[in-house]
Parts: sequence; C-alpha cells; structure tokens
Amino acid sequence: MDRRTFLTQASGCAASASLLAAGCHFEPITSDNTKTIEVAVFEGGFGIEWHKDMARRYEALHPGVKVNLWGDPRVDEKIKPRVLRRNPPDLASCTLPVWKLITAGRLYPMDDALSSPAYGADGKTWKETLRAGVLADYVYEDKTYALPSNLGVWACWYSKKLFREHGWDAPSTWGEMTALCEKMLAAGIAPLAFQGKYPQYAWSTILSCYQRLVPFEKWYDIEDFKKGAFQDPAFVKAADLMRELAVKYFQKGALAMTHTESQMEWANGRAGMVFCGLWLKKEMEKALPDDFEMGCFPVPMVTGGLGDPKAIYSGGGESFFIFKDGKHPEIAADFLKFLLSIEPARDYVKRNDSLTPVIDCQVGVTISSALQSAVDAIEGSTRMYSDRLSTLYIEWHRTLVQQAQADLLRGAITGQQFGDRLEAGAEAVRNNPNIYKPPARGVPAL
Amino acid sequence: MSQQHLNRDTKRFLWIGILPSALLYGLFVIWPAINALMYSFTRWDGLSTPAWIGLDNFTNLFKSGSDFATAIGHNIYLTVVPGGIILTLALFFAWMIHLKVAGSTLFRVTFFFPNVIASVAVALLWVLLYSTTEMGPINNIRQALHLEKIPFLESARLLQSIVPMMVWSATGFYLVLFLAAMENIPADYYEAAHLDGASPTLQFIRITLPLMWDVLTTGIIFLIVGGLKFFDAVWVMENGRPSPATHTMSSLMYAKVFEEYNVGYGTAIAVLLFLLVLVVTRISMRLLKRERLEY
Repeated sequence: MDRRTFLTQASGCAASASLLAAGCHFEPITSDNTKTIEVAVFEGGFGIEWHKDMARRYEALHPGVKVNLWGDPRVDEKIKPRVLRRNPPDLASCTLPVWKLITAGRLYPMDDALSSPAYGADGKTWKETLRAGVLADYVYEDKTYALPSNLGVWACWYSKKLFREHGWDAPSTWGEMTALCEKMLAAGIAPLAFQGKYPQYAWSTILSCYQRLVPFEKWYDIEDFKKGAFQDPAFVKAADLMRELAVKYFQKGALAMTHTESQMEWANGRAGMVFCGLWLKKEMEKALPDDFEMGCFPVPMVTGGLGDPKAIYSGGGESFFIFKDGKHPEIAADFLKFLLSIEPARDYVKRNDSLTPVIDCQVGVTISSALQSAVDAIEGSTRMYSDRLSTLYIEWHRTLVQQAQADLLRGAITGQQFGDRLEAGAEAVRNNPNIYKPPARGVPAL
Repeated sequence: MSQQHLNRDTKRFLWIGILPSALLYGLFVIWPAINALMYSFTRWDGLSTPAWIGLDNFTNLFKSGSDFATAIGHNIYLTVVPGGIILTLALFFAWMIHLKVAGSTLFRVTFFFPNVIASVAVALLWVLLYSTTEMGPINNIRQALHLEKIPFLESARLLQSIVPMMVWSATGFYLVLFLAAMENIPADYYEAAHLDGASPTLQFIRITLPLMWDVLTTGIIFLIVGGLKFFDAVWVMENGRPSPATHTMSSLMYAKVFEEYNVGYGTAIAVLLFLLVLVVTRISMRLLKRERLEY
C-alpha cells in the first residue's frame, strides 16, 4: 500500500468512525419477540421504588413485555428535547407543555384503555374504578390524554406533638390562623416555613383563600379565564391575605429556600407549619424524627366569606402521558392501567402513605395518622376542586404569575397590583389566537 | 510555503485531511445554524408545521416590557459589574505578584485555584455559602452577630449575589493571563525607568499597560463574551426555574425552546445572541485597538 492509498483509506475510516460515534444508535438485537416499553418517571417526594416493583410485576404477568423504567428529579429536562426529536419514551410522568402536545396530536388518547376491563375489578371498566373528576383536566375533543398517578390534598401541616406541648389547636378560621402565628412568634418559633425558591407553592393557598371568599360559580370564572376575573375584589383580598401571611409570618430567609430546605426547617421544629401537598411525608421521611406526629388542616375559612367552608383543594398529581411517537403506545396504556388498578394502588398507599385516584385504594390498608388526617379532610369535604391554569397557559404561569407571586410574597406589590398584573397577562393570552383556550366549563357536576 | 508551491498530491492530502472535520463541522454546526436562522422567522412549537411570520419574533423581542429586554439588561449587568471588578482586581494582583511581594507564589496558586473548579460546582458551593438555613456559614455568622439573615438566593437579589461568585471564580484566570504578559516585558525597560525616577505606578501606566495591551484586550473580550452568554450559575442557583427577575438571554432561550416549546421565538433569541456577541466583540476590538508595540 502506497502512502497516498493509506492516507485516503485512513481518512475515510476516521470520518466513518466519527460519524458512527456521533450520530448512530444501535438497537440491541434480541432473538425472541419481547417488546420493550420505556417509562420515564418524575422522581419526586414519592420516589420510584413502587413504580419499579410494579414494572417487575407487570413483566411477570406479561412475559412478552419488558418495562425499561427510570426516574429522575429533573426528568422534564431529559424528556422535553426528546419529544422535539420525535424520540420520546412510551410513557412519562413529568411536567410538559401538555396542551401544545395535545393540540398538535402528539399524545396518545387513553379512551380505549379506559373503556376496557380493569385489572383486578371483575366486570368493571378501568374508568369505572377511578375517582370521578380525575380525568377531566386533560380532555380535548372528547378524548382523554393524561391520568394522574396520585391524589393530592393541599393542606397546612404541623407537628401534633409541638401543638400539644404548647396547647395550640389547629385553626379553622383565618383569624384563628393569624392568632396562632402570633403565639408561635411569642414562643420563639417561626410560624410558617415556605418553599420560596418556588413561589408557585403559594398559588394553591391563594386559590384556596379565594374559594373561601366566593361561591364556586365565581371561583370557576378564574379557571375559565373570564375577563376581569383576577381583578375581582375577593381575589385581590385573597392575595392580600397571602401577602400578610408571607410578610409577617414566613420564616426569615424562607424566600431563598428550596422546598427541601424549608421543609427541613419545619421537620426540625424551627418553623411551626408548612403548606404542602400530600407528598410531604414521603419527601421528608428520612428527616422526620421517629416520634414526629404529622397533622394537617385545610386552608382555614375566611370569616365573612361566601365560599363553601368544607370544600378542599385536591386533585390528581404527577400525571402520566403516553406519546404517539413512542414505540408501543398500546402496551404503555395497558401498563398504566395496571399501575392504576386496585392491588398496585393499595400497595402505593401502604408504601408511600398517600392516595391514588383508584376508588377505595386505602380500604383495608393500615395508614398513618398523617394520611388519616388527610383522608378525614377529603371525606369531610363537600367538594374537591383544583386548578388547571398552570398547565393550560404555561408561559403565562411560569413567567408572569411566578414573578408576581414572588413580588407579592416579599411585600413589593399589593393584592390589587397582583390582580392587575395577572389580569393584564390573561388579557394578552385571551387575545392571542395561537394559544389554545378550552371551552368554559363552569362548576363541574359533583 | 506559499500556495503556488504546493504540488497536486500535497493539496489532495490536505483536502483529505480536512474533509472529516469539515464534514462534521458542517453537519453539527453549520447546518443546525442555518436551520436555526430559518426557524427564527417562523412561529413553531417544534411539533406542528412551522408558519412563516417574517420578522415578528424579532420585533416581539424588543417590545416594551418583553422578557428579552429584561434578560439583556441582566446580561449587561453581569458583564459590566463583575467584569469591571475582575479586570481591576486581576490587574492589581498580577502587578503585585510581578513586583514579587512577599508570598507571591502562594498567591498565584491560591488565586488561580477557583478557576480549576467546574462552573456548576462553583455555583453549588456558593448556594451552600449563601444558604439561609443553618448550613449557610455567611448567614450563621450574621446571626451570631445578631444581624438579620440575608436571603442572598432570593430571585429578586440573585444577580447581585452572583457578582462575588464570578469575581472569586474568574479573577485567578485573568491574573495568570495578565501576569504572563507582564513577565514577558524585558526588565531593562523598568530599570531604565527606575533610573529616570519613575514611580512603580508610573511604570505600570507608561510601560506595563501599553506593552500588555493586546492581552488586556483579549481579557476584556473574554469577559464580554462570557457575560453575554452567561447561563450556568443562573440555571443552577434557580434550580432550573429562572424567573423573569433572573433570566439571562441564554437561559431565556433554553426556557423558550425546551420548556415552553416556543421554538421560533427561542431561536430568534439564539440568532440575536450570536449577532450581539459578534457585533459587540468587533466593536470592542476596534475601540480597544492601539498601535502595536514591539519589544
């Protein structure tokens, strides 16, 4: 081989090797007909151990299927570019611009699976085994595109032991709440921990306050994005109540704390209470002292308010989506049906001390006092309600609402200015023909 | 060797050698850049068919109160404030070490040390330093002195908090850069100036600065480009969710494309960022141009 030939061939080999290394992806070749589905799970407070075990159980039931399940606290950042590259996993629970995906036809509807027989519930379809209302938030042109994997409750959490020691009672009115905060301050305890690096943690409390002030006919005006809804005097009052709570009673430095840092302050007794979802116990499991008795109460009634005092802010969380671009969407739907069937759901309650959208998932399961107090709050409620604006109008919520909340919580703006800012942003959304707006739904039937 | 002296075989050899790199560069840099430029003229969510909207994305970027206008303000702040401090401190310390003050070797290593830590690790380290929990040493000291805790990491003051971090992590690099330039200047010039009675300050202004001007210009360009592209510390310190109070152009571009699937608008930011870096660098080079001094 002369020098010229050698160099030509060497360059060719180098180029080929570089291209292969950079761009090609090899699928493992299997001799059988095993089908593999990829499932990506948000690894938050509840972890992914339950999901992994259920995947193994599903594989045992379906020998021809392999479930490649992985989780990450930042699963969103990994999935979002893959969705754009048309290479998503089959099934994922993460925060996505869902409505863009739904309206662009990139998600796989779950209706066929929902009307098929459920696992472990003879004679019932999958849909019939799920709590009413959990499917409502992601319905588009009569098709369902997402399913929550857990049932959340927004509540204020406290240590029963701490309350007993000081002779404090869980408040039932806003006045009692602020009086309790004053007592905590006097006792040298910061009344409220807050996940300040994520100002959106205030959103559910603001909406709950607003619910206490107005009948549901008015409250759902916000959800339906009706003109002027955010400038309603009662909404402004709800924002002002939140502002007062933040300025007077949040732990010093709370606005610079992450969710785990602030919740750790609460777990260690340096803060008396914290507003959070049902995932709090599991998320802080390793940090809570052995004798820690968690209790919770819903957002207190505002004296003189016209809202239902027994309604509770609650709904599905950590929703799963099936991608049309996935390799096996039908199998993914079936795996999700298995995840949200009665036996796995009871296992979920047992392990995660939380609830799922499957009816009676907690029946026959010994649950902790913390979960019991949440179950009591749900069972004692007249209506469960939740918000869908954060997923519908993602840009409005992630930028304008997040910033407005941060400013409200540090006392830089008033409730009126907060309402005005949200309304101005909402008006821009209303006037933007490129943003999908669902039909107004009013107050959902119970 | 001039081009006419290259024989045919050598030319072919060179082309074959360049080809793999050129192909890869074209495939992974030029082609995506051309695509990005095209997408910047469209309204596109990355999912459906792009719709041509001409310059709308670019006009929206400069609308009053737009998120981009705020972000560019943050980039200017992160270029000018830490950049000015870094440049001053690096020059001062390099000059001190050059004058061989006591312990100068130790200082050289100590100042350069933060530069070997990855930027994400630096950000995480400062998150810990700034923490308002009992993990944060700065606030613990304040508390011990009966002073209020400062929420350094709160979005509203995060950009100010990033300044000391940038100064700490970057000064060493510029110090070494400037020191190398200073040490290349022949000692005879300083000896002659000393004999003529010039003070160290005068020697610095009249000899050191003019003779290291090219290196200083390079340092300034590095700082400008770094400030305009700033991303990682904001992303880490905001836990991947920067707010309008903290977004820089790069983090906004990422959020628009990958978080909100607003690909057209996001790529318009990318195109503008590219042009901005190009133009600002060019202007800076022209403004800083001086007659080259040979020694």
